[in-house]
Amino acid sequence: MGTETVGRQPGKQYDILIIGGGPAGMAAAAAGAEYGASVCLIERNNKLGGILKQCIHDGFGIVQFNERLTGPEYAYRYRNLVKSYGSKVTVLTSAYASKISYHPEKSAADLFTTEIITAQNGALCLTSSTLILAMGCREKSDRQVFIHGDRPAGILTAGQAQYFINIQGLMPCKRCVILGSGDIGLIMARRLVLEGAEVEGVYEIRNEPSGLKRNIVQCLDDFSIPLHLQTTVTEVHGRERVESITVCKVDDDQKEIPGTERTIECDSLIVSVGLIPENDILSFSQIFLDPHTGGPEVDQNMQTRIPGLFSCGNALHVCDLVDYVSESGETAGTYAAKVSRKQIPYRTVEIQSSGNLVYQIPHFITLPDIQNKSSTIMKIPVYFRVAKSTEKAELVIRCGNTVLFRKRYSNLSPPEMKRAEISLSAVAKAALSSPLIECIMTDLGDTDGLR
Amino acid sequence: MNSRNRTVKTLHIISRELRKKGFPKVKTETCYDGKSIRLSGKVQTWQQKIEAGYIAASHSQKFKGIVNDIAAESVHEPLFPSPGSREFDETLDGLSYDVVIIGAGVIGCFIARELARYELSVAVLEKETDAAMHASGRNDGMIHPGFAPKPGTLRAKYNSKGNSMYPAIAEELDIEYRQPGSILLFSSSWMRLLAPVLRYRCKRNGVAGNYRYLTRMQVQNLEPHVTYRQKGGFYFPTAGIVSPFQVTIACAEHAVQNGAVFHRSTCVTGFKSLKRKNKRQITGIITNHGIISANVVINAAGIWADYIAGMADDQFFSIHGRKGTDAILDKKTSRYQKHIMAMPSLLKTAGNHIHSKGGGIVVCIEGNTLLGPTAEEVPDREDYSTHKNEFRKLEQHLSLNTRLKKSDIINYYSGVRAATWKEDFIVEKSERVPNLVHAAGIQSPGLASAPAIAIDICKMVLEILSTGRVEKVEKTDPIPLKQNFIPCRQHPPVLKLLSNDEKKALIRKNPLYGNIICRCEEISEGEVRDALHSSLPAVTIDGIKRRTRAGTGRCHGGFCLSKVLEIISSETGIPKSQITRKGGDSRIIIREISQTLSSENKKDTEEREGLYGD
Ligand SMILES: Cc1cc2nc3c(=O)[nH]c(=O)nc-3n(C[C@H](O)[C@H](O)[C@H](O)COP(=O)(O)OP(=O)(O)OC[C@H]3O[C@@H](n4cnc5c(N)ncnc54)[C@H](O)[C@@H]3O)c2cc1C
Ligand SMILES: Cc1cc2nc3c(=O)[nH]c(=O)nc-3n(C[C@H](O)[C@H](O)[C@H](O)COP(=O)(O)OP(=O)(O)OC[C@H]3O[C@@H](n4cnc5c(N)ncnc54)[C@H](O)[C@@H]3O)c2cc1C
Repeated sequence: MGTETVGRQPGKQYDILIIGGGPAGMAAAAAGAEYGASVCLIERNNKLGGILKQCIHDGFGIVQFNERLTGPEYAYRYRNLVKSYGSKVTVLTSAYASKISYHPEKSAADLFTTEIITAQNGALCLTSSTLILAMGCREKSDRQVFIHGDRPAGILTAGQAQYFINIQGLMPCKRCVILGSGDIGLIMARRLVLEGAEVEGVYEIRNEPSGLKRNIVQCLDDFSIPLHLQTTVTEVHGRERVESITVCKVDDDQKEIPGTERTIECDSLIVSVGLIPENDILSFSQIFLDPHTGGPEVDQNMQTRIPGLFSCGNALHVCDLVDYVSESGETAGTYAAKVSRKQIPYRTVEIQSSGNLVYQIPHFITLPDIQNKSSTIMKIPVYFRVAKSTEKAELVIRCGNTVLFRKRYSNLSPPEMKRAEISLSAVAKAALSSPLIECIMTDLGDTDGLR
Repeated sequence: MNSRNRTVKTLHIISRELRKKGFPKVKTETCYDGKSIRLSGKVQTWQQKIEAGYIAASHSQKFKGIVNDIAAESVHEPLFPSPGSREFDETLDGLSYDVVIIGAGVIGCFIARELARYELSVAVLEKETDAAMHASGRNDGMIHPGFAPKPGTLRAKYNSKGNSMYPAIAEELDIEYRQPGSILLFSSSWMRLLAPVLRYRCKRNGVAGNYRYLTRMQVQNLEPHVTYRQKGGFYFPTAGIVSPFQVTIACAEHAVQNGAVFHRSTCVTGFKSLKRKNKRQITGIITNHGIISANVVINAAGIWADYIAGMADDQFFSIHGRKGTDAILDKKTSRYQKHIMAMPSLLKTAGNHIHSKGGGIVVCIEGNTLLGPTAEEVPDREDYSTHKNEFRKLEQHLSLNTRLKKSDIINYYSGVRAATWKEDFIVEKSERVPNLVHAAGIQSPGLASAPAIAIDICKMVLEILSTGRVEKVEKTDPIPLKQNFIPCRQHPPVLKLLSNDEKKALIRKNPLYGNIICRCEEISEGEVRDALHSSLPAVTIDGIKRRTRAGTGRCHGGFCLSKVLEIISSETGIPKSQITRKGGDSRIIIREISQTLSSENKKDTEEREGLYGD
């Protein structure tokens, strides 16, 4: 334990204060320092790295480093990057940000106040001109999918199992059932088998897996672990430790089909039923959280509708590639460094999704000062997720009559987040005549005569 | 008509009614020297057994109790849980106390605390690993104003008395207590005509405070998000809330600080008794840890109190388990509702049992909101499972507040009420066994009534001890009060409730309070360690949870479980693979990974992680 303070002891005021020392927060800290801001990075664990510390499988960094790194390796690179800025970044570990508040009436330097509890420095209260939220996400528990029956020991989330095995060297089960085919669940299925446990099967309520294709192949197929689609766990049995569970088939509306119940003996139920961005700290404000992402609404700079407040990484929306997490952190840090010195007057254009899309990031675009030539050449990444799997589809992003982006995709599915790019200068021009940008995903079925 | 004839006639009426209902195989007779009614024989379903019990109950005004021994053929009714999985040894054999209390629920713990004021040796025997593992840790935490119980019953008497005692008790125990008040919502406007009737009932029950009728607008002003269906209501300002396990454990700790002894994981399986002057008196209490003797035995065994009475050959009542399910909503809902609310008409639509209040929305002391409880008769008294159907009934309560949503639910659980057929508390000295006292059938509102019940039980114990009704006891003088009695308990620090300056001071004194291990509830390592060293120390994961709330938040210990496990292990020396959630075989970890494949990986991560720490 102990508080790691790289550089100086915590001061009282910073240009940028970042909550969360995962890949998003670390990237933001480095970028902020790169652009000359004074940065304080708050992490409640005793080490930087976030969730990556427990992800010992590889596959991280393909986009950022063009390499297949393990989670800890990926985190380690960013950790070193942060360290390389020396005293420009104050890192507080074992430091828990308990409360934030926003003071628009105060001077630009003291817009935000963050209360922090640390072992070494006691209870702190720091102010900053910008605040970056990078708290990551938490897993949904069995309670959030309304599993009934008894409540014995042996029900845990995939992330908990991952922490037990990979960090603590503790084995939580002998024979388990996994509910949910999200990536963490799939990866844990393989991990558990490698550690000598038996995985009876993976059960998924929907009619398609929610994890990536490659994980289905590498984690289930290669280990002969069956995947049962349109099947869910309804009840757990056992007073002290899990003794068995009941699974049941569901119809297309995810309603249980009576008579299809089956009881499976096992000593553990591992749930991997989704992630929720960690934004409880925002309860101070009535800030709107997008029901589809669970995070606040942001512009292309990751700035929320409260000037100076940024959100990035999995606290903004759940990404399946850590590389995108770092990218959003870097964007937030860069822009926060700029606005921490001077809020630039701006105008915003809203973005809307329609067709086969669940959501897109950003939610709106902030148009900079037209005079400011340097920034108008920027490319804006637009992240999106489809609502349902599609073999062929076309994405059009347009503003009024101007088409900003058009591309055909094949084999899109909801687990996979995609990235498109639009040009800021094009947006600026088009926005003069239209106040809205539309993202439209059209499925091109068999009727597509163009091919 | 003499009493004998009256008895014969009543039995006849009951038999006839049972036959009419289609239960020909049920036998009706008297028991307990003709003072109680006993039903035996067979029916098909559990529901039929319940129905038969209530038929008998409706004619039992003149009887002391009803023992319903009917077997329901289609269900398995588990008998008293055998201490099979418990350890057997003689570690407590030969111990002797002035008073032994069976059961460390809120009743047993309040009694222990009350008795600890006197120069007496007091022990509590609890079969589980901790206090408050049954009804007392599985309820709504509401300190009812005393309106609901039928006037003239013990429930009415103890409820309103207990309610008025809570503010002072909360001070003495140093626990959180609040009076948010409750509103009984009317579903139609004619119900306002009931207001005088409600007022009269309050008066008869001794309800305190300025209870009153509220118009629709007044309700709306108090609760802006209340359902549009409400047509006014009745307001009880003295309705209070506590954390039920905090109360129970605080009582236990306070009792221990004043000399009481708790033997946990100790199950009473029988009594040794001796006949003296035609009365059978308990001489030994048989447990899985040997035989303990006591001058007075108190039966506070909750759902199993009828079995305890039976072991002493003193069974004049029986208990049936009535399960209640509750759902807890996220803390962020606290801003949408300030008062406890219920709309009794929901009762009918939900098809609830007539003997329950039907539940509603309760605001919790921790800042959460709670829906419930439901009511369902269950054969298995320790069946705390939840089911979809009961859960649906709970969801209906959401409609009382326009802002609450199903997705706000973060947890749900069940408890089982220890109902007798006469639906009243049993708080009395045994008629047959001179050194046995019952605090039985303590269903709802048992938590609210507990302090008042404890006072009366304590009086009874002192009477038995000082009148020398028990021959072995020679004391005839009144039992003296303890000279060095500690009047108040001090709750260990709760970081979250402190001001910033207080936090600073605390962390400076002990940095462990600055190490947050539960993110949802903001609980520090220092608080967890305190729980492991309290006067009734936690020994399980749930024990920590009940004392500190670590793991009660929206992530269900997703984050803190592994840390709590580590702290327990480092503090107590128990290997991680032996630490349980709630005793028995509820281990979290099956084994520690040794020289397997992962040790490679582990070393790998450790090495790398070492680099992070600097
Ligand atoms: C169990 C699990 C397994 C995953 N596995 C993979 C995977 O295999 N591959 C993949 O690409 N992605 C995976 N993810 C997604 C992963 O979260 C992201 O890829 C990436 O780690 C997100 O980075 P982040 O910085 O946004 O969040 P995180 O890595 O979660 O970092 C957030 C940090 O903020 C800190 N924090 C939060 N609140 C506070 C506070 N109040 N005060 C101080 N500090 C705070 C946390 O301690 C944490 O260190 C996984 C996620 C989970 C939950
Ligand atoms: C869902 C629900 C909601 C409720 N809500 C409220 C409310 O809001 N307000 C209120 O006032 N009341 C409420 N109640 C009622 C209240 O919870 C109970 O009345 C109260 O907890 C009873 O306490 P007890 O000590 O008698 O029983 P318990 O808490 O059940 O304690 C009995 C103890 O005896 C032990 N024991 C049993 N047999 C043996 C043995 N042979 N040897 C050793 N130990 C033994 C058990 O293990 C147990 O710990 C509610 C009840 C339920 C189920």
